[in-house]
Order: sequence, then C-alpha cells, then structure tokens
Amino acid sequence: MKSKKRKGSKTDPGTRSRTNAPLAQRIALWISAFIILGLTVMIVVALSEKASKPPPRIPTEPVELRSTDWIKGAKDARVVLIEYSDFQCPSCARYHPVIQKLLAEFGDRIRFAYRHFPLRQHSHADEAARAAEAAGQQGKFWEMYDLIFDGQTTWDNLPEAQETFTGYARQLGLDMNRFKSDMDSAEVRKRVEEDRRSGSRLYLEGTPTFFLNGVAIQNPQGYDEFRNIIEQAIHQAG
Amino acid sequence: MNSGTSSSRRSIRPDRRIAVAILVLSLVGFADSAYLTVKHFTGGPLNCSVFHECEKVTTSPYATVGGVPLALLGASYYLVVFLLTMAYVDLGKSGLLRWTSRLTLVGFLASIYFVYLQLFVIRAICPYCMISAATSTLLFGLGLIVLFGGRTFRNG
Repeated sequence: MKSKKRKGSKTDPGTRSRTNAPLAQRIALWISAFIILGLTVMIVVALSEKASKPPPRIPTEPVELRSTDWIKGAKDARVVLIEYSDFQCPSCARYHPVIQKLLAEFGDRIRFAYRHFPLRQHSHADEAARAAEAAGQQGKFWEMYDLIFDGQTTWDNLPEAQETFTGYARQLGLDMNRFKSDMDSAEVRKRVEEDRRSGSRLYLEGTPTFFLNGVAIQNPQGYDEFRNIIEQAIHQAG
Repeated sequence: MNSGTSSSRRSIRPDRRIAVAILVLSLVGFADSAYLTVKHFTGGPLNCSVFHECEKVTTSPYATVGGVPLALLGASYYLVVFLLTMAYVDLGKSGLLRWTSRLTLVGFLASIYFVYLQLFVIRAICPYCMISAATSTLLFGLGLIVLFGGRTFRNG
C-alpha cells in the first residue's frame, strides 16, 4: 500500500508549519472556524424566518363570493371563508380535515367556498379539479372533493390519475358517461380556469390561501389557531 | 486560512488549496442543509408555492429516516467534513484529509440516491436538495484527487 511508504512522515510538508504554530495562532484558527459556523447558522435561521413570513400582499379588492362558487355552511352567515386550493398540494390535503372540523363546529355561522388554483408542478391537479367540477354537474361536488383529498397519497404518484377519479365517480353512483364527457367539457374547463385566473389576479403565492371576510389571512398552524381566528371573526360580525 | 501566506511562495501547494476548497464546499453544503433542517422543524409557511416545488420533496415520506429529517443528517455530514478538514489544517496530519476523502463517498452515494428519488419517484425537483447534491459531488471529486491524484499526497 502506498500509505506504508509514508509511515515515517505522517505530516504533510505543506501543513507541517501549522503543527509547530504557536498555540495562540491555533486557537485563533479554531475560533475563526467556529465564528464562521456560528455566523452561517445565524444567517440560515434569519433567512428561513424571513421566508416564512410572506411579504404583505398587494392590496386588492375584498374577495367576495360569486354565484358560481361551491359553497358550504349557513346561507346567510356573515362570516365568509374562501379557500384557493390545489387537490394535489400536500398542504391543502392537510387543511382538508381542518376545514371539515371547522364546518362541523361553525357550519351554522360561517360560509365556506372552495376555489381551484391548480399549480403547474402538480401534474394531476387540473384533472382533479375537473373531476370535482364534473361531479358537481351531478350535484356531488363536495363528495368528490372529500374523496380526492382523502385519496391524495394514493393517486399523487401515479403516472395517470384518470382511472382513480372515475373510480371515485363510480363510488358516488354518478352517471359515468356524463361524468367522463363533463370532465373534458368546455364548461368544466372554463370553471376551473376562471377560478385559477381569479387567483392569479390576487397575486396568490401558493396554496392553500384563505380569505376571511375578503381579506387574506396567514395560514393558521393547526386547528386551534384556525378556530380562534374564525371565532374572533364571528364575534366581530356580531 | 493560510492560503494567503502560501500565495507568497512560488506555487500554492495543491493539498492546501484542496483543503480550503473542501472547507468552502462543506460550508456551503452545511448552510444549505441547515436551511432545510430549520424549515423542517419550524414548518415554515404551510403551503405549496407558485414559484417552486420544493415542498413536494421536503414533505415526501422520503424526507425523513426513522423520524430524523435527511436535512439534519446532511447538515451533520457537512459539519463532520468541515471539522475534519479544519483538524487537518491545524494538525497537518494527512491521514485526516484521507479519511475525510473516504467519507465523501458516503455523501456522494447518498446524493445519487436522492437525485434518483427526486427524478423518478417523487417526480419533483427541490433546488436546495440539488445544491446539496452538487456540493457533495464536488467534495467527492476533491476526495478522489486527495486519494488518487496529485503527487503531493503520495510522496509528500
């Protein structure tokens, strides 16, 4: 082995001077190394904190319900929650049970609307949105919405998700021929596209984005935080 | 670092230059993985961004091993490489640099696997993960030079 040859001198000439360097110099070397590491950590933490607080949105008109929205909850409730969401977004799927729980608790005091904002990087997101809309044409939008979100992990990584969605349609007892033709219809495409465009006009930075009484809110971390925000809004609405 | 003094000599010794390059690269890799680690634990903004698809990778089941985020393992790896190389710069024991070089193979193989996962399994690219793949590949390249390249390391 080559290393055998080197047995006599384990120290490289290039760095030998270092071994004999005064202690103060060696201490300075290590202190500077740890200062560099410490600074790196501080910069990294500062950057990630900055990134987690999105810049204030460009002020827009209050986001209001439209006649074409899919709405759940109390018809005359003054508190309105609108979600822009993507069926293939893992975070959106994480908020799905949170929304279900909120509606179970406040369903008589709030209105909830779901709008599509399929992101480019999610290859099945648009198809999923159209599947929900096509089910909506037969009055089963929310049922399909639940199935698609609950099953996200099963269809997310499939090369084709169409079969999964038609499977859901069958499960819901939909007219299959109509469902399939509706999924590709101009009407359904237009509905999804209009939602997406309205989101773009609001300069959405991601999904999900929630608008409470027309104003964008920071995504609450967990159910309790969301619940508090809703409760406060209900109080304010009197 | 001492590269300043060596530049006053006729030629900069390649081992010293390589040590400095390893220090810089491992620091970049460390900063990158540390960023992902902090993101992992603070949760960050809980959403999918319009601008990138990082969250699809970093929230995938492959992002943790037995509950430990890969980003944390990556940060530890780069930290070990950095400290070992610092020890080499301090003590001048070339064995330390050779052990560091062997260690870079681990980082390189892990990176190949992670790039494979991103391209073929998760089907999404996380830019921060690709930066890490790049630094660990470059570190491996430097490791090869240390182990098999330059005369300096064999004949001293």
